[in-house]
Amino acid sequence: MIRIDRATTHPPLTPVLLTIAAFLVAALPHLAAMPLLVSLSILLILAWRVMAAWYQWAPIPGFLRVLITLGLIVLVVVAFGGFWGRRIATALLCLMLAAKMMEMYRPRDLRMVASVCFFLIASQFLFNERLLYLGYLVIGCWIATLALTSIHQIQPTRYGSNDHSRKQPPLLRESARGALVLLALALPVALTLFVLFPRLAQPIWGFPDQAMDGRTGLSETMSPGSIAELFLDDSPAFRVEFEGQPPPPAQRYWRGPVLWSFDGATWRPAYFSDTATREPVPVNQSSIRYRVQLEPHERRWLLALDYPVQSNMPESRITEDYQLVSRRPITTLSQYDVISTPDFTVSPTLESAQRMIALNLPPDRNPRTREHGAFLRAQYPDDQELINAVLRWFREEEFFYSLSSAPLGRHGADEFLFDLRTGYCEYYASAFAILMRAAGIPARVVTGYQGGFWNTAGQYLLVRQADAHAWNEVWLEGRGWVRVDPTAAVAPSRIQQGSRSVGASGRFMIDTDWIRNLRNRYDRVQHLWDRWVLGFDADRQRRLLNRLGLPDMGATEIGLLMISALVLISLPLAFMLLHERSSRAGSEAQRAWQRALTRLRRRGFAKSPAETPLEFAERVSKDLDAKIPTFPQLAGMYTEVHYGPQDHQLAASFVNLVKRFRPVMNRIRQM
Amino acid sequence: MEHIGAAANPSRLGSRLQNILDHWIKRRARTIPPLTIGYRQIFILPTGFGWMLGLLMFGMLMGSLNFNNNLGLLTTFIVAGLALNSMLMAYHNLRGIQVRRCSAAPVFAGESACINITFINTDERSRPALELVHGKQCKSFTLDASASGEIGIMILTSHRGWLTPSRLRLQTSHPIGLFEGWTWFWPEQPILVWPRPARHPPPLPQSAGQQQGSREHREPEGENFYSLRAWRSGDPLHRIAWKASQRHQLLLSREFRAEQAEHLTLDLSRTPGRDLEERISNLTAWLLMAEREGLRSTLRLGGVEIGPAGGQAHAYRCLRALAEL
Repeated sequence: MIRIDRATTHPPLTPVLLTIAAFLVAALPHLAAMPLLVSLSILLILAWRVMAAWYQWAPIPGFLRVLITLGLIVLVVVAFGGFWGRRIATALLCLMLAAKMMEMYRPRDLRMVASVCFFLIASQFLFNERLLYLGYLVIGCWIATLALTSIHQIQPTRYGSNDHSRKQPPLLRESARGALVLLALALPVALTLFVLFPRLAQPIWGFPDQAMDGRTGLSETMSPGSIAELFLDDSPAFRVEFEGQPPPPAQRYWRGPVLWSFDGATWRPAYFSDTATREPVPVNQSSIRYRVQLEPHERRWLLALDYPVQSNMPESRITEDYQLVSRRPITTLSQYDVISTPDFTVSPTLESAQRMIALNLPPDRNPRTREHGAFLRAQYPDDQELINAVLRWFREEEFFYSLSSAPLGRHGADEFLFDLRTGYCEYYASAFAILMRAAGIPARVVTGYQGGFWNTAGQYLLVRQADAHAWNEVWLEGRGWVRVDPTAAVAPSRIQQGSRSVGASGRFMIDTDWIRNLRNRYDRVQHLWDRWVLGFDADRQRRLLNRLGLPDMGATEIGLLMISALVLISLPLAFMLLHERSSRAGSEAQRAWQRALTRLRRRGFAKSPAETPLEFAERVSKDLDAKIPTFPQLAGMYTEVHYGPQDHQLAASFVNLVKRFRPVMNRIRQM
Repeated sequence: MEHIGAAANPSRLGSRLQNILDHWIKRRARTIPPLTIGYRQIFILPTGFGWMLGLLMFGMLMGSLNFNNNLGLLTTFIVAGLALNSMLMAYHNLRGIQVRRCSAAPVFAGESACINITFINTDERSRPALELVHGKQCKSFTLDASASGEIGIMILTSHRGWLTPSRLRLQTSHPIGLFEGWTWFWPEQPILVWPRPARHPPPLPQSAGQQQGSREHREPEGENFYSLRAWRSGDPLHRIAWKASQRHQLLLSREFRAEQAEHLTLDLSRTPGRDLEERISNLTAWLLMAEREGLRSTLRLGGVEIGPAGGQAHAYRCLRALAEL
């Protein structure tokens, strides 16, 4: 804690307000994501600081500041429920900066706050890197730079004893433009570094799993009715570019977590779900090759079409359930290439342990469904016929697809199948799986995404969170696990035309074609942004350098390349700033003479315009070492060349002599 | 004794290092005005704030790199670009400034000497946020485009003699205080510090008859030619200026006068005082009194004799001799 006396002088108003503004802009997304109470108290401190600056209030006494800070830390910990994650870390950082503002009275305090704003801006990108945030980055950096320049203009003279220059501080508009110029000049260097800075192919350390507090999208478990909000979330989940034509909509099943065990309310993965597959998928003519850009969802799974063969994502593998998973949570936009083979027979034989799990039902739940399953079994001995009958039942009876659905009770499947008959994919998938198991057919639930919007202009498929889906797989003798989508029986348009076709009306205030078109265009730009800026990684860097005709390089070589490029890039700027005025005019001898004068000027001997070469030579000769050629010699020769009759030979020898001229200080005199 | 020796050692080492550094700076390029600040005279290092931001940048870099967070990296690199440019701009702000006339008028010991330094900006751009630093003094100023200005630095003097001020430092951390560029230079000449005049000096030595000096009264008729005047009856014939008389068609006679009426001889060896410094101090006070009263005087310091003469120039000569004694 820094002690501040009661008599502390207030710094000028502009830098304080600008620093607070810089903090406010940088912290805005953080504040929006914090519990309301925490962000309100931070805003309260800011408001106090603004008032204190405006009315020149006395600073808060030290012990009170410590108390307030400690109180707020406790508040943050309580508000976040003691759950340690990135959000709480950034909340604490914001809080500390706000607390620092209570004692922000010296230029160095102001500087500290303004510079940590850059850190705050960078840390926001751990949560969101959408194109929109580029504006946040630019404006945030601009105001922080403006605050820094403004702080630098606080001169001690203003409230010190020295009253040499009481210049008016520059106008805010001028400073704002100056800061923008500073930022613009920083861009060439920033972009060079961005392209050439050696990237890590693999992270050095990962987030601990519990630090993942910004999870979006699918969840690892499924209990019908719990996550209807996901279907209203229009944000992109991932985008896909295909080699060749995209598969038809009915084939666009993006495989996510596969759920086996059901406890009556919730579906969960099996214990073996995470082990690697023992039976790799082959590549054949029907294989699809594509590239996925996955938005960060902070889970470990990667989405792929049925059934993934291999992917180039580092540290990824294909599990027993043919799910593509990464070893680490996906915290930034990730790109990977995948090959999938749709026609593949999964596990032609089912192990008894797996069969047991795939048939297991809690005995005390859903008696009517179990009864109906047994009834169907008796009616249809053939599995396929039984399934068809159930799908027909779904289609022909009064079953409805709706996103607004009542929560289910203890016997969820019973309620749904016999009373409610209104719900969305999770309800159908869950009830269908229970019915199948009741009828003795091994069944499991697969969650993931289905469909996607084909952006014709951008030639890519956009899959939104709203495209989340759940379907089933049943195990049939001789055919292995076969996909069955009960939702398709109820609402075929859901599968054919995507999530937009059902329940989509009324989601947006204005949902005309024009607006939709605009949104698609924006998404295209976002896609390019994701692809070229966010997706720029070690691999893309390598390919870019290859395209420039450079061989594969290690980090050291890329680093050297970066440094030389940096020098090259900053040369024009350095030249602009540092170049000494030189004239190309005049004869060769004149220019040589100017060079000699420049060499002398660098040593601090400036020829005044009124001096003749000989006078100047006489003045400086005693300060210079008498090394051949001496300066008086040169001056005499120059006078002869320049003012005498034209003599090319003499002029040439003069130019040659100047080349050898190195002014050296006379040591005896200097000492 | 040992204690003093131990205490003195580090400072001696420090001053030796200081000397080596000064010597190196002086050998690099001209360091005495008039000079134009060029790249050989400019030094640049990050400020404390610059180091702090560097640390912050390192943190941002490691975090963003680890998670391959490209926007985070971009932010980091923008800050890096800002830092790099601010180094160039600090340099740019200093380069080309001309330093002229860096000197101080002589003062009496105990007073503050004011070193006046003229800075000239011949370029079409202003040079904001310049600071002139000497010891604990720091003066901030801005040089406008094509402008010049004079900055004064006060140096407290204590002893008579030539005072060689330590180097002066012109610095800037324009534009945001990340890097500080500076240049060192020395005043053109050492500062002459006159002896401190005694506050209550003994009265001026009176006349010739007295011990400490002489005050000679002579007849108006002296040996020195004084002026021409109209002839009066009684003027001897040899006094008539014939040539001038012919020119002016009027009989003129030459008038002779003796030396100025009052003449002081101020001798160090006859000045009262307990020690040399006190005697010098009294002598200085006397010199100043004589100058104020318009008396002619001769200063005798050991074998050196200055004067007899009067006026300011004589006083300055005497003061300087006393200072150098």
